[in-house]
Amino acid sequence: MTPIAGSVALNLAFGCSILSIITLLIYNRTSDHRLFLTGQRLGLAVSFFVFIATFTLSYQLLISNFDIDYVARYTSFETPMIYKVSALWAGQSGSLLFWLFILSIFNTITIIQNQTRHHSLMPWVIIIMSATQAFFLILTNFITNPFEPTQAEFVVVNGNGLNPLLQNITMAIHPPVLYLGYVGFTVPFAFAFSALVNKDTGVLWVRSIRRWTLVTWLFLSIGIILGGWWAYQELGWGGYWAWDPVENASFMPWLTATAFLHSIIIQEKKDMLRIWNMILIVLTFSLCIFGTFLTRSGVMSSVHSFTESSLGPVFLSFVFIILLSSFGLMYTRIDDLRSPRKIESVTSREGGFLFNNLIFVVICFAVFWGTLFPVITEAITGDQISVGPPFFNQINIPIGLALLALTGIGPLLAWKGTSNRKLIQKFTLPTLLALLSALLFIIAKMTGYVVISFSLCVFVTVAILSEFVKGVRIRTGKFNESSIVALYKMISKNRSRYGGYIVHLGIVLMFIGFTGHAFDKEKEFGIKVGETEQVANYNFQLTRMYEQERSNHYAWITDLRVTNLSGDFITSLKPEKRVYFHKNPDINKRQPHSELDIFSTLNQDIYSIFSSVNNNNDTAFIKIMINPLVKWVWIGGYLLAFGTVIALWPRKD
Amino acid sequence: MDFIKDYFFTLVVFIVPIIYSIQPLLLPALTIRKTSNNTSALSRKKNILYRQIKELEMEYDIGNLDKEDFLIRRSELKAEVSNVLYKLKKK
Repeated sequence: MTPIAGSVALNLAFGCSILSIITLLIYNRTSDHRLFLTGQRLGLAVSFFVFIATFTLSYQLLISNFDIDYVARYTSFETPMIYKVSALWAGQSGSLLFWLFILSIFNTITIIQNQTRHHSLMPWVIIIMSATQAFFLILTNFITNPFEPTQAEFVVVNGNGLNPLLQNITMAIHPPVLYLGYVGFTVPFAFAFSALVNKDTGVLWVRSIRRWTLVTWLFLSIGIILGGWWAYQELGWGGYWAWDPVENASFMPWLTATAFLHSIIIQEKKDMLRIWNMILIVLTFSLCIFGTFLTRSGVMSSVHSFTESSLGPVFLSFVFIILLSSFGLMYTRIDDLRSPRKIESVTSREGGFLFNNLIFVVICFAVFWGTLFPVITEAITGDQISVGPPFFNQINIPIGLALLALTGIGPLLAWKGTSNRKLIQKFTLPTLLALLSALLFIIAKMTGYVVISFSLCVFVTVAILSEFVKGVRIRTGKFNESSIVALYKMISKNRSRYGGYIVHLGIVLMFIGFTGHAFDKEKEFGIKVGETEQVANYNFQLTRMYEQERSNHYAWITDLRVTNLSGDFITSLKPEKRVYFHKNPDINKRQPHSELDIFSTLNQDIYSIFSSVNNNNDTAFIKIMINPLVKWVWIGGYLLAFGTVIALWPRKD
Repeated sequence: MDFIKDYFFTLVVFIVPIIYSIQPLLLPALTIRKTSNNTSALSRKKNILYRQIKELEMEYDIGNLDKEDFLIRRSELKAEVSNVLYKLKKK
């Protein structure tokens, strides 16, 4: 496939998306079903042309066609095959095409899945999805075209190659998963918008998108966790979350989407919170687009780069159009959006859900403000400032702990209201155990948020496990089943409920991991072969240091023997100092990179970084970090994914 | 030969999807078969209501619902199911 095929495909896709919108708008006026079919098929054609463009660019990356600027910028002959594929989303224009590619997959699935369903909603669903495709097609056709030829008056012999930080298998997986999450929210938004246009704001649209939302939320969650995993494994600062604008860009829609997932349960079961749900899905979709804007416009590095390319203003205009049209439409449909029922008690499950929603939105606002404050300040005063982790931690830790408490309180509350007798009955055991554990943590010389966090983890775990125990007891008594059979049947018959509880347990494990950060220790030192250095309760002996030339880099490798203070062998760590593009005669184009080695246990991680080597090649500068409980963050992530899959698993109706 | 190959490729990849897209416009006027859609929508609604009744009973059993609320909700859902069944029967 020649590059011109890619360009033509993008042009045709843009034309078809506009035609699809026009055809379906005319269908809405005339009800001529031929127009609906045409609009639907044009929607499929858009996706088909986008697939062609994406495969064309992938092929050009694989064959190293450096006549294309994008290929020359992000790959070289030395780039391993898998990273040639992942280079598709390494740069601006490629990643926007990739966004479009995933949107086109979702568009195709939505159209095919609903060929005989939701006839009233589908025209506007396709219009919204085609409009979103058209927006990204404007970007890829007219602003940042991935098929742009290389601007050089000579033959490009070799490309620049991929940034070494991106040459990591997690980084090859993380962006597509995150994009699946970002892009997927287009579908629930399209259904919500369509429901507003059709004045059908009851439970129908909510039921149509529940599964979509859950799948998308799962991808976004896994994408965020993978991003943290990559940062931890690759960036070498010992943490997994730095409140970086790019991280925040994915975290903000996750927060509103999580709130949305909870509040649609209320609409589905009680037909309440109609307006709130509309607001949440509009915010989630807008934040997905806004997040892409933050990461792709360059506005975060300097507000001036925002105006250097037209990408930023176009993105921001699209976000404004989404917000204006959605909230404008909501205003005109306000009577339809008024729910027939109201929340009757604060101590009801509905009340619990609403509190949880408010907390999610407050955290989202805090993150939004902290992320944009430097941009706004620079725009007004011209001074570049940064808002770092202390701000985000100070605000979000107490709110996050309140949210953790609610993950335990919510499942204990009854619908409509909980009587005082029930409240005492349900809360006594978890509260007593949490207080008892708090006492033990204080005796173990822990203080402040650490005690609160660990005690709340105990509270939530007991609260959720007691729900499982209660359910099993009822089934064993009622159906004479064994406990295992009762547990299996109880979960399989109430997948969303118990899947949700498993997700909550995953969140508890993640909080245990987050809290472990309070006990981190680190030491940086220079060391020669044969010498030993003590960090916390471990001795690190440098037994060997050697060099190796590999296909795409040159490496200095250390061999650190780790023993405990009694001299028992624990592990051997091999952190490396690498230089990528080492054959490049231009010394400025060689890229140094520290490849870490981590020994991970449930209790703690021993994290080693080879920072540099001296000129004589006999002293290695090593940084060791002892990071307690980090593994629980990843285990919690697995449990979160497992619980969501249970909640998603289709029923046999 | 290469020209024919390229021409064929262009035809298949670019022209066929466009012909496929506009083909419905060449058909005589169409109307949607609303009856079958309504029936499937109704039977989906029936299944959802049955599921909601089961969930409601589960909620009551594990103590998340008081008796009065349980009885009211269950009778509401049963009335809704009866209505749906009646409509399905009529079709």
